[in-house]
Amino acid sequence: MAGQSGTGTSATRRLGILVILMLATLALCGLWFSAEDVVQGSTVRIMYIHVPSIWTAYIAFGLTALCSGVYLSGKNRSLSWDRVAGAAGEIGVLFVAVSLVTGSMWGRLTWGTYWVWDARLTSTAFLFITYVGYLAVRQLGGTHRQRARRSSVLALLAILEIPLVHFSVTLWRSLHQEASVANPNAKVELDGLMLFSLFLGLVAFTMLFVWLVLHRQRAMMLEDAFSDRGLDVAITARRNEAGA
Amino acid sequence: MEHASFIFGSWGITAVSVGAYAIWVLRRGRELAKHATREEMPWT
Amino acid sequence: MDLTPRTATEPGAQPPVRKRRWLPILIVVAALLGGGVIVTQFLTSAIDYYCNVDEIGVRPGCEGERRMRVQGVVEQSSIKQGDGGTTFVLDFNKKTLKVAYSGDPGGVFQECIPVIAHGRMVNGVFESDRIEVKHSNQYVEKNATRIDESNKEAAACSVLKG
Repeated sequence: MAGQSGTGTSATRRLGILVILMLATLALCGLWFSAEDVVQGSTVRIMYIHVPSIWTAYIAFGLTALCSGVYLSGKNRSLSWDRVAGAAGEIGVLFVAVSLVTGSMWGRLTWGTYWVWDARLTSTAFLFITYVGYLAVRQLGGTHRQRARRSSVLALLAILEIPLVHFSVTLWRSLHQEASVANPNAKVELDGLMLFSLFLGLVAFTMLFVWLVLHRQRAMMLEDAFSDRGLDVAITARRNEAGA
Repeated sequence: MEHASFIFGSWGITAVSVGAYAIWVLRRGRELAKHATREEMPWT
Repeated sequence: MDLTPRTATEPGAQPPVRKRRWLPILIVVAALLGGGVIVTQFLTSAIDYYCNVDEIGVRPGCEGERRMRVQGVVEQSSIKQGDGGTTFVLDFNKKTLKVAYSGDPGGVFQECIPVIAHGRMVNGVFESDRIEVKHSNQYVEKNATRIDESNKEAAACSVLKG
């Protein structure tokens, strides 16, 4: 047995420390140093976690689709691709949920309501439900390859929702504001330290995502290995019985 | 700070949910690794 | 070789039993139902969320006394509060609409900000029971604007009117 080292390596430990430091700096910048907005006041401080959360979810679902595509198209169909896809999908669902909750609280203070069924919120809710379904489909049973095949197809369909969610505010009439940085006009609509705090949030959350994916896909690798081992034990037992 | 409960609440929810998930992932990995062979853990 | 399922007699030595996983099946069904509800109940109104003030009585879906959502910019110096309600004027594309809201609007409701009012037209006045504030995607540091706040506010108002 390999012992107690878990899913960490010296590289993930260093990355973890860096992520903690960056998140602490983000908290200081976002909650303390950055100025209030002229219209929203301190409410704008929710943006520094809300936007990075949905950004991370986009990256996560993008990685899920990429790995699923590689798995389906590759000559050597390594299950590692499927496990990274699954890990990223799971983390993406977490960050969409965080984004929905923090956005709802921000909306209560700025819009005057927790929730509206406008284009952005409706499409985001649909995105969330789709990927919860994706995670459930991964758990339906069968062999690892069956799991990989069916979830990869679903991931490649689900990724089409991301541009729909992101551009919903420009394609249709929406209560939700347009993007302040990644907008079609390529015009950054944030002042000084506000922009820095948002950028720091995007980088810190992305690195946190990388750290989480590394650990989660390794844990999934062990889950798959144990599942295979259980099956091998059963087959060996039956072979022994048959030979006896 | 105006609306401090909402602002700190949203940051707190984010920290607790992501932190709890991170701890669960680490613990799950450690628990599984106890019963794993070296071959099953190529990163070690 | 016998591969039929059987009950193990010795704890710990039994082969893994492949049970039908009901929870994931239930979640998949719930996700399909939830997605279906969103598409059928909310998607149509979501992609056409409001009528602009200048479209009232002109654009299909924005006419008559039907319940609708109207978007416009709150006109400067038009907000009046009293008798438990708020009245103000919405501007959009050189058209105006008087709104009577039964309460005190929440959020960052103020002059020169775009809002969406839910309600219906009654005798030329839009009687609203829900106000949503549609703030812009511009974030400006408070301190930086103190120097010439009044001028900026006026400029913002003219920009927002579209």
